[in-house]
Amino acid sequence: MALLEIDDIHVFYDKIEALKGVSMSVEEGRIVTLVGGNGAGKSTTLRAVSGLLHPRQGAIRYAGETLGQYGAHEIAAMGLVQVPEGRRIFGRLTVNENLEMGAFTQKNRQQIAEDRERMLTLFPRLRERLRQVAGTLSGGEQQMVATARAMMARPRALLMDEPSMGLSPMMVEQVFETIRTINAQGVTVLLVEQNALLALSIADTGYVMESGRIVLSGSGPELLDDERVRRAYLG
Amino acid sequence: MSATTLTLRRFNAVDVILWLLRIGVLLIVVIGTLATLIKARYTIAQWLDFVMFGLTIGSIYAQIALGYTMVYGVLRLINFAHGDIVMTGAFAGYFAAAGFDRSGLLESRPVLAMAGILLVAVLTSTCIAVLTERIAYRPFRRVQGLAPLICAIGVSFFLEQTFRGLFGSSVKSYPDPSWLRAAFVVFGFRIPRVDVLVIGLALVFMALLYMVVQRTRMGTAMRAVAEDAEAAALMGIDVNRVIVFTFMLGGVMAGIAGVFYAFLYKQVYFFMGFTPGIKAFGAAVLGGIGSIPGAMLGGFFLGMVESVGPTLFLDGIGIPAPYQLRDLIAFTLLIMVLIFRPQGILGERMARKRA
Ligand SMILES: Nc1ncnc2c1ncn2[C@@H]1O[C@H](COP(=O)(O)OP(=O)(O)O)[C@@H](O)[C@H]1O
Ligand SMILES: [Mg+2]
Repeated sequence: MALLEIDDIHVFYDKIEALKGVSMSVEEGRIVTLVGGNGAGKSTTLRAVSGLLHPRQGAIRYAGETLGQYGAHEIAAMGLVQVPEGRRIFGRLTVNENLEMGAFTQKNRQQIAEDRERMLTLFPRLRERLRQVAGTLSGGEQQMVATARAMMARPRALLMDEPSMGLSPMMVEQVFETIRTINAQGVTVLLVEQNALLALSIADTGYVMESGRIVLSGSGPELLDDERVRRAYLG
Repeated sequence: MSATTLTLRRFNAVDVILWLLRIGVLLIVVIGTLATLIKARYTIAQWLDFVMFGLTIGSIYAQIALGYTMVYGVLRLINFAHGDIVMTGAFAGYFAAAGFDRSGLLESRPVLAMAGILLVAVLTSTCIAVLTERIAYRPFRRVQGLAPLICAIGVSFFLEQTFRGLFGSSVKSYPDPSWLRAAFVVFGFRIPRVDVLVIGLALVFMALLYMVVQRTRMGTAMRAVAEDAEAAALMGIDVNRVIVFTFMLGGVMAGIAGVFYAFLYKQVYFFMGFTPGIKAFGAAVLGGIGSIPGAMLGGFFLGMVESVGPTLFLDGIGIPAPYQLRDLIAFTLLIMVLIFRPQGILGERMARKRA
């Protein structure tokens, strides 16, 4: 059984139906990507998974549990952690405090210190910025903080919403490298991207979303070869 | 096209009035100050009295302002009932103080009695603060518009009228132990003990609060929630718990402030929280609402202006009994801040753009 199972969810903003029956399945240990144009409903999907929105219909199952009744902080504590769109780091807190907040669900002080050390090895740039207020960092560094913060929560599955947004091509390259590294350490990744080419090229499985519906799905290479995907997203 | 000209013209007219207001107040302040100093009707000792009182009342405003600013930080709600939370602390402290007074403990064991009074006050105000959050504010959490503020005003009335119902509308005088009436003499100047006690303890408690907010996990979580509650929830932070924690901290400071305020003015009554509450809210705005150092700074600043200002600004221009005009000065300052610098001294603009 898949680690995360989204089963025919319908999500509304007031009267507007943003998700019109979305189903996805994310196998443990994989990189799964959800691509689609602006306003397709990708962020809405992740927000529903994280418990920030509740589907009016359908169910989301994670590790054998139905998430319906849980709040966002409980879902995070279960190991389903999101790096939200636009990073949303705590700009007035120091980098170190941001990491500490990522570890809010963790109680073992020594293990937190070790995790922090692992993150500073993964992102050496952050080590020299630990005492700096996070809002003063560059976009690329802020993405590092956002990713490291989420990793401090020891996720079993990481949900990433457009991590490459607003970054230079070189930084984008690095972000995808990081995603591969994190996945290689055993963390399942659900990656939302507008950059379909890059996302599909590192994904085991891909879903294509349009106007609140999944219109295509398949393995990463399959979708990269698909005529419709090429025409719509790869130019 | 015509709409643009219209707004431009209207803007100019308002601008002129604002400038006149600015210049008028500035003139009164400058001329009044000079005239007062030239007349020199007041002695150094008298000025020192004003300054000491300013610091004392300022430290109380600062503590109350912290409650407003922290709750505003996490909820974007002006907790209109916060002044009444102060009142509940003062009342609880009154009953403890009266009890200690009757048993003679207030005179014979000042430290123990004071600790007991503060403890009772703080427990009461904190419980009531947390209860108001749970019962009155939480259901309004996701409601937009004015409803939450109106609910807060309702809570304010509810607390006032409840205390009036329970304990009557008469003014009760706080016990006045001899050790508080005495004064220290430094270089021949009298410094009332009550001032030293209030300022000293206020500084200690505010330093403690600052440590909690800056150094502990819950304090950091509070700052995180203030900045982005949703992102905090995504990190596993229970936002409700953080909000309760915030109301607790505010309640603790309110209880202490209530006791001090009552010891200073030597009385309690059901409506006593209103004026210090609204002034402390002003102090929080003055310092930049949402900013903790701002609230402390704003409190002391308002206390100083209110205490030294009337005599300094108004005596020189021949206004009799200027000290009666303390509240006028205080509220003029607040209105001026709201007009000319709504984001306060340390604050950012309220509508901050999110990246
Ligand atoms: N807070 C909101 N209120 C109302 N409609 C929203 C809100 N957020 C998103 N939407 C709408 O829901 C749809 C999906 O949005 P979103 O999930 O953010 O798309 P994506 O992340 O794929 O760009 C869009 O049509 C958007 O306009
Ligand atoms: Mg999006």
